[in-house]
Amino acid sequence: MNISVSGPKILFEWGSFHITETVVNGWIIMAVIVLLCIWLTHGLKLRNPSKKQIVAEKLVMMATNMVRDTMGEKYIGFAPYIGTLFAFSVLGSLSSLLGMRPMTGDLNTTLGWALVTFVLVQGNNIRINGLGGWLKSFVQPVAVMLPMNIIGEIANPISMAFRHFGNIASGIVISTLIYSALGALSSTILSFIPVEFINSIPILQVGLPAMLSIYFDLFTGFLQAYIFCMLTMSFVSGVE
Amino acid sequence: MDKALQFVSIPPDLWTLIFTWANLLILFLLVKKLLFKPIMNIIKQREDEVGKMYEDAQTASDHAKAMETEYTEKLANAKTQAESIVADAVQNAQARADQIVSDSQAQAASMIEGAQARIAREQKAAVEEAKGEICSMAVLMASKVIEKDLDAAAQSALIEKCMDEMGDTL
Repeated sequence: MNISVSGPKILFEWGSFHITETVVNGWIIMAVIVLLCIWLTHGLKLRNPSKKQIVAEKLVMMATNMVRDTMGEKYIGFAPYIGTLFAFSVLGSLSSLLGMRPMTGDLNTTLGWALVTFVLVQGNNIRINGLGGWLKSFVQPVAVMLPMNIIGEIANPISMAFRHFGNIASGIVISTLIYSALGALSSTILSFIPVEFINSIPILQVGLPAMLSIYFDLFTGFLQAYIFCMLTMSFVSGVE
Repeated sequence: MDKALQFVSIPPDLWTLIFTWANLLILFLLVKKLLFKPIMNIIKQREDEVGKMYEDAQTASDHAKAMETEYTEKLANAKTQAESIVADAVQNAQARADQIVSDSQAQAASMIEGAQARIAREQKAAVEEAKGEICSMAVLMASKVIEKDLDAAAQSALIEKCMDEMGDTL
């Protein structure tokens, strides 16, 4: 039996320009998040807030408090970005529960986000130490350390990107493998029935993959989103 | 089979990267504008309102305290005032009573004095009158004695008679 796990499909192509499954799934998730925001903030009240307003306020305060605790009061402006990143990442991973290919299971997505973090970190460094101080930080403590420092800085986004991508992508691979294995197993078990229609029913594919999905999609999805946001916050605010 | 990117796309696919950045930026701006701004706004407004409520309560409490002090002071003043009024009234009444008593005493004294004077006068007048009577009686008796040459027995009977007559008049 041959099992193939492919990358994101190319849905539209025009010359070298193309739009992949990842991008389209991203748009769907964006639409969901934006509609959710509009619904949550509809009819806000100062007194006697509705249940959904309490939820919306709780979400915003959670993001704000997390940023305040991790980055400190002066980086509080990062709260909307971290909140967006977390929501995008979680829903991007959880979309696999609806049968979509998770957008975070595409290296381009996580690498793109990690490069944004990289730019934020270097930008923050330049903002604090000035261009000279930033360049000088690469030859600290001695000039020989220059290649090490450069590699160290570049390694951060790469490790972040591969960590997130690897966890979600391995979930796709393992789910696919187990799904096929369960299908093969159930047809073997049912092979004593001589009717071809019945022994082609993959009974073991019902239920069991859902259990695995709880770990690989739900748990890993939340954990990786949390780790990615945490690393972004501590890298940006860790600049001295 | 459909066209697809490699599972681990190295080197990265530039178009997907560009879309990833654009999507993230757009979503960030939308979430900031649609969720964070209004929610932070309403939380800020609520905090302001609560702060204002506390301030108002403080002001009201201060005001009530000031009023309480003022009223206590006023009440104490009123009490002192009432006490002084009562004391004044008592004093006035006492003075008045003393005055009345002393007046009536003086009046009574003068009345007694007047009465005594009158009694004395009347006594004097009565004595005078009695003297006159006695005199006239003596004259009468004398004339009677002269008129009749009387023996001793007759004289004493006469005197006896005279005395009886006098006793009747006196």
